[in-house]
Amino acid sequence: MDAVIQVDSLTKRFGSLVAVDGVSFEVKKGEVFGILGPNGAGKTTTLECIEGLQKHDAGRVLVLGVDTRHEPEKVKTHIGIQLQASAYFDYLTLTEILELFAAFYPRRVPPVDLLQRVGLIEKARTTVNKLSGGQKQRFTIAASLVNDPEVLFLDEPTTGLDPQARRQIWEFIRGIHKEGRTVVLTTHYMEEAQFLCHRVAIMDHAKIVALDTPANLIRRLPVPYEVHVSCAHVLPEAELKALAGVHGVAHENGNYRLQVSDPTQTLPALIDCAKGKGLTLEHLEVVSATLEDVFLATTGRQLRD
Amino acid sequence: MLRLFVANLRIILRNRQGLFWALVFPLIFVTIFGLFKFDDMGSSGVAVIDQAQDNVSRALVENLKSIKFLRVTEEYTDEATARQKLQEAGDDVDFVLVLPRGLEESLRSGDPKALPAKVTLVYDKGNIQSSQLVIGTLSQFLQQTNMELVQAPELLKLQPVPVQARQVKYFDFLLPGFVGMGVMNYAIISMASTLAVWREQKIFKRILATPLSVRSFFIAQVLAQLLLSVVQAVVIILAGVLLFRAHIYGNVAWVFPIVVLGNIIFLNLGFLVATVAKNLNAANGLANVVAMPMMFFSGVFFPTNTLPGVMAEAVRYLPLTPMLNVMRGVVTYAQVPWDWPVELAILVGWVVLTSVAVVRFFRFD
Repeated sequence: MDAVIQVDSLTKRFGSLVAVDGVSFEVKKGEVFGILGPNGAGKTTTLECIEGLQKHDAGRVLVLGVDTRHEPEKVKTHIGIQLQASAYFDYLTLTEILELFAAFYPRRVPPVDLLQRVGLIEKARTTVNKLSGGQKQRFTIAASLVNDPEVLFLDEPTTGLDPQARRQIWEFIRGIHKEGRTVVLTTHYMEEAQFLCHRVAIMDHAKIVALDTPANLIRRLPVPYEVHVSCAHVLPEAELKALAGVHGVAHENGNYRLQVSDPTQTLPALIDCAKGKGLTLEHLEVVSATLEDVFLATTGRQLRD
Repeated sequence: MLRLFVANLRIILRNRQGLFWALVFPLIFVTIFGLFKFDDMGSSGVAVIDQAQDNVSRALVENLKSIKFLRVTEEYTDEATARQKLQEAGDDVDFVLVLPRGLEESLRSGDPKALPAKVTLVYDKGNIQSSQLVIGTLSQFLQQTNMELVQAPELLKLQPVPVQARQVKYFDFLLPGFVGMGVMNYAIISMASTLAVWREQKIFKRILATPLSVRSFFIAQVLAQLLLSVVQAVVIILAGVLLFRAHIYGNVAWVFPIVVLGNIIFLNLGFLVATVAKNLNAANGLANVVAMPMMFFSGVFFPTNTLPGVMAEAVRYLPLTPMLNVMRGVVTYAQVPWDWPVELAILVGWVVLTSVAVVRFFRFD
């Protein structure tokens, strides 16, 4: 598959602060690529260097084969950018804003089509400040599609939204991806990256600490699963620990959590063990680890939400 | 670019608060100063009681009427009523002039006992200034009549030479001032606050995310503002001329290039204010700090030469002062802009200076 974006040793400094420190990765055509990390990790700066909004100090960025530092205008013609918390002109209607922005590009999508897609057609003649948070966010994404871009950049598209509005945006981003566009997004929501992204780069302290598909990242954890089980009687902790594939045990009020590397080995052993003692197991479930656990494992810290 | 220009006009026209500053605020000044009759304040009402009703008294009354600052009325036939009017507050009667019965007869008789015939002037002691003026004028007037009657040869004659051919009313002087004031206030304040808001809302950044060059973005913005300043000038001048009969002596078309030239400076000042101010409130405050002194010291309301010498010289270099001088020259004295080379040079100097400063220091992020 072709690489749509090639980032090679990208470095950006603000005074003595190194915001992005030698970051390299590629984004393939037609994938949803996520940059995940806590606030201040350098996600937005990385994105803005790729978009040509900021000039990087070292390294090279190619978008659709064009160097963003040398020909930022050319790059901007083919990409769509949605900025973190960017409002639009107060005194223009949604249609007028879309018409205005479309006028900056050689290739345009009619405002009606865009508004229809994000379900804001009945708001066409209102101004941005009269929209709700979710509507506003949908509108900014619609506005980033005015030039029918090949690559779409979304900077924290769902930050500050309620779960329902977030879901709506997720479905919408999936739709955009289905049209064959490449999507690059930043987020600090693990479940968002897991739900939307084909591949995820985890950033911390200006560097990429892990990069792969969410499934691979999780699978590579030493203990990628947890087995949860409840029992009316006491299960001896030492015996549980001795079961195949179990790395650790925690229990509370008859609810047990086993850290497990391979549930296919652990589950039969657990069931056998219970049968042998004549005990019934309740609420048995296998829970996969999340990107949250990956972050914890790679950085030793919780992701601040 | 054209779309951006149109969009900017829309934004400007839909911002009610901005339009208030652009049009309503200067129009309030035009209305207030148009309603006050500044130039009539110096005129005095004289009620003439012509008891004589003969040729001499008629001639005197007619001649009196030709004196400009006297409003002569013969409404009152008896002295008592007229005196009562004088004592009442109100400004229709300030003086009562009584021409005695048998005026012509006593003059013709040449009877020393009847001469001089006494013409009585009743006036309000409290009204010192105009009393002195009217008493002086009337004495001189009667003196002259005396001379003519005795047919004495005129030996000395004062020949007043008018320095100003036109009767420029105070309101005529004010009107170009209001144009300058309106344009300046709006340009500095609206530009500074718009830029501050757009920066706070990251609209600049959003524009930067498109292939449009930042330069075209600001050019469209400035062009829209310049067009609005021309509209402002048209509206203010029309209001002054149509509603309050202001007089335009020169070619009014010259006003517009001067307004545009001056407005470039004010818009640049707006950019600079937005450069220094970190947020909207600071931008508004600072814009007022920049605009206020010019509004009061650059001669919107009074000629700057009424200021003390050093100050008058200093305010000459504020951008609004030369703009007003050239505009007044054009509107009120029918001159052409290059009759004011120094003023034009100061304006151009400001345009260059502020433009360089904006390009050098203004940052949109």
